[in-house]
Amino acid sequence: MGPDIRRRGLLAATAGLAAAPSLARAQAVRPRITVISQWSAGSDGAAITKLGEAFTAAGGTWEHNPVPGFTTEMMNKLRADILGGNPPAASQLKGPEIAAWSRIAPTVDLNAVVAEAGYEQVVAPDLARLHKPQGRWIALPLQIYRTNTLYASKKAMEKVGATALPKTWAEYNALAAKMKEAGITPVANGGQRPDDGQKFETALVGIDPAAYRRAIMELDDRTLRGPAVLAAFRQLRMMSEWMDPAASGQHYSTFLPRFIRGEMGLLIQGGWAQGVIRHAGFSDDDYLIGQAPVDNGTPAFLLNADAFIFWRRREAELQAGQMLMARLVMSKEVQQTYSQTTGSIPVRTDMDLSGAGWSAGQRETAASLAASVRANQSLLSLAHNMAQPNAMTAAMIDVLTEFVHNKSVRPEQAVTRLADAVEAAR
Amino acid sequence: MAEAIRRQAPLSRWVIYAVLVAFAAFYLVPLIVTVLNSVRTEQDIGSTSVVGWPRELALSNFGKAWGTYCIAQRCEGISPFMWNSILMVVPATIISTLIGALNGYSIALWRFRGDNWVFGIITLGVFLPEQMKLVPWTLVLRDLGLSNTITALVFIHVIQGISFTTLFCRNYYVAIPPDLLKAAKIDGAGYFRIFWRIVLPLSPPILIVTVIWQFTHIWNEFLYGVTFTTGAQQPVTAALIALSVSVAEAPQYGVQSAAVLIAALPTLLVYLFGGKYFLRGLTAGAVK
Amino acid sequence: MNVQGRPAAPRRSWRAALAPWLVHLVLWPPLLVSVVHIIGFTGYTSWISFTSSTLIPENDFVGLRNYNSVLASRNWAIATENLLIFGTGFVVLTTAIGLTLAVLLDQRIRAENVLRTIYLYPMAVSFVVTGTVWSWLLNPSIGIQKLVRGLGWEAFRFDWVVDRDMAIYTIVIAGAWQASGFAMALFLAGIRSVDADLYKAAQIDGAGPWRIYRRVVLPAIWPIFIAVMVILLQYTIKTFDLVRALTGGGPGLATQLPSLVVYDLMFQRGLLGRGSAAAVLMLLYLLAVLLPYFAFVQWRKRRNARHG
Repeated sequence: MGPDIRRRGLLAATAGLAAAPSLARAQAVRPRITVISQWSAGSDGAAITKLGEAFTAAGGTWEHNPVPGFTTEMMNKLRADILGGNPPAASQLKGPEIAAWSRIAPTVDLNAVVAEAGYEQVVAPDLARLHKPQGRWIALPLQIYRTNTLYASKKAMEKVGATALPKTWAEYNALAAKMKEAGITPVANGGQRPDDGQKFETALVGIDPAAYRRAIMELDDRTLRGPAVLAAFRQLRMMSEWMDPAASGQHYSTFLPRFIRGEMGLLIQGGWAQGVIRHAGFSDDDYLIGQAPVDNGTPAFLLNADAFIFWRRREAELQAGQMLMARLVMSKEVQQTYSQTTGSIPVRTDMDLSGAGWSAGQRETAASLAASVRANQSLLSLAHNMAQPNAMTAAMIDVLTEFVHNKSVRPEQAVTRLADAVEAAR
Repeated sequence: MAEAIRRQAPLSRWVIYAVLVAFAAFYLVPLIVTVLNSVRTEQDIGSTSVVGWPRELALSNFGKAWGTYCIAQRCEGISPFMWNSILMVVPATIISTLIGALNGYSIALWRFRGDNWVFGIITLGVFLPEQMKLVPWTLVLRDLGLSNTITALVFIHVIQGISFTTLFCRNYYVAIPPDLLKAAKIDGAGYFRIFWRIVLPLSPPILIVTVIWQFTHIWNEFLYGVTFTTGAQQPVTAALIALSVSVAEAPQYGVQSAAVLIAALPTLLVYLFGGKYFLRGLTAGAVK
Repeated sequence: MNVQGRPAAPRRSWRAALAPWLVHLVLWPPLLVSVVHIIGFTGYTSWISFTSSTLIPENDFVGLRNYNSVLASRNWAIATENLLIFGTGFVVLTTAIGLTLAVLLDQRIRAENVLRTIYLYPMAVSFVVTGTVWSWLLNPSIGIQKLVRGLGWEAFRFDWVVDRDMAIYTIVIAGAWQASGFAMALFLAGIRSVDADLYKAAQIDGAGPWRIYRRVVLPAIWPIFIAVMVILLQYTIKTFDLVRALTGGGPGLATQLPSLVVYDLMFQRGLLGRGSAAAVLMLLYLLAVLLPYFAFVQWRKRRNARHG
């Protein structure tokens, strides 16, 4: 909200009155927004509901139509609406898909409203780039998760006499080996596709953040075939040996009870897992949480961010609604409410997380984001479709997931397969 | 038939029952897991295992699933979505079954030029995967102006359903002895009279099979339901998925299981009710 | 048809004159609608498979490029092999179970209604959900294996779902669980439509019950076998929700099926052209099975006509 919105509304209203002098027309410029997302229930649903409440409180009409299911189903709906000539005023979309989809239908230029809020200065540069293809802001990120987050079961740590999270992969491997000896399954991850991708990306970013940028984000063939990627595959092989054989295809939440009981030791998962653990009736004190190992000792952060893209509409009230929505999404208040509901951290790097509503994990994650931006080590997650368009991501994850579950593939072979898959999908 | 069997030794009767009950047990296992989960609390499921006995009875899951769980900002559970599904499934099932019966009758008993070709193409229709048809249907609905309506879903399910219903009925009617029809034709009975007087009375078993197929498939269909309707018009499967699929979060298995059981009730009623018609079909065959 | 409103005497003659036309009026519209939709959609998909379409359909012809990349991919190779294993296993197992249950249920069974409902209910429950429940039951650390070990048999192993070589068979089991009830219903409907006189004749000849089934009932219901086969084949081709919920195509890529690849290419990867090529290939596989069958039927018909 702000004077600008009111002025715009007034202008549109005056124009309306001039064209067709009816009262109904004048009232029609009350800001309105139509949104589609996959967030229909649970904490995601609760968070977007709160966003809707904020929108309504600011004088707007909020119409959210969730598309339950995977992201694919949401995109099917979006495609159907675009083909039908009736795109929503705003829709969930993330990563490089924002650029891809912006080529099939006209989007809204948000540059003015972003500049007015001084928003660009407080967003991680790699993240900002995704939301302004061709230099124009057309989408806005909502919240951030760090995918290279490590959880350690307190009970499992106690059993092997460890107190702190490992800082390097060498420490991680030593700790895991100790757990294995103590009869604990060291790796508590599941075995679904994003999970397998996440284990790999966490290994690679920890071994060499610069190589991660070149290999995964820039798809540099020499780096893809180079020593850092090979080392990451070796690490991934060790982790796959340390997983429960029953993890194949399972969601990580299936194993949380065993993780908390100390039968499983270490879990690599985004910040969202905190909410899941709490929801299952466990406490924040049952585990340690922090950044997964980074060998060079400087924070490195794999970004996963949800965002809204804004589709061009002719209706004055929808246009007003888009501006209102943009302002809300960028505001500190909305970002605070949103992140506190879902367990993520705000997109803005200038927020104070010392308040009671934030957890220690969230504070650590936010501090780590700020530090990694300074060190130029804030990078985009592959497994969660931030680094590459979906077609490329899927081709790469094919190789990773097969490597995790087929122990006869050697790391050297996997390096070649990954580079070849990238070549084929280019 | 039955008379022949009645003379069997009691031992073989026991074997028959044993096999039938063993299969029943096998079929029931997943249902039992679902029923148990439907009366377990989220904490119970989350902190122990997704397969297990309830520590305490949480019957409130059913109330939540039916009327208070929040899906898409409306805290009315799955009940409004159930109604949408009924509005979609009843007309679609009836229309597609009727058309299928007439088509099957025409192809099987009222041979015409090119009937083999027509039947071949309709059979091919059975195989077209939904995923493949998603984009074409989008374009068709756009051109017909039906986007985002329940009517669109009825339309899709009727047209796609014709392939299945025609196939079932045709293959059933083919077994009707041609002499019956010849006699009727000599008596001067026409297309409709033969259908009404001879074919339809023989049809209950296959019609109920057809209805079961159509009803359950339309009821459980998800892809078109979420793509071609929005928010308040979505079928119940969309609500079920809303409760179950979440990448970041653990699904709400307790409420979800209760919702699944509630959502399966209409189909189960069709089966129980349809059972009578199976028996009636038997009698019809025996009387003749 | 304003025919109905006319007085009785002329109506008959009107009807007689109209009858042949009426038949065609009723017969053709629904047939045409489905034939047009099938041919239209298949043709459209075929066209898209030759274009560079990504997120939305485009119309620029790129030749066989999409086909080449699908055929060269590991995913497709694995999916094709799995389709063979799954298809054979699933069709055989489901037909066997369905027919056995139908024959046994036909023996004047008490509680037939209840049993039949139990066999059918798997179709009633949302597939996405039953797939999830099966994934728990089959999972060694929480499902059947754990249960049996808990009962004291410590060496018991049932971990197919996480075994790359065996996982596809768990899809066969779950698929048969879901579809065999319907096969049973179709067979039962067929058995009960068989003319009672045929039984009596066979009985008088002194045939035992199992001989009657083999010699009289089963031959009489051959069209039902075709219906069951077609239904199961389409299940094989279209099985999607079940795999997505049960294994997600894993472990690794071990349970990929063509339908998953099609959906993945078209919508997950946003490559409509390539996905359409995969869909067309899938239909070609199907025709490779169906065409020889149709040819056989035609050949038999002609032979019968010659001899008969």
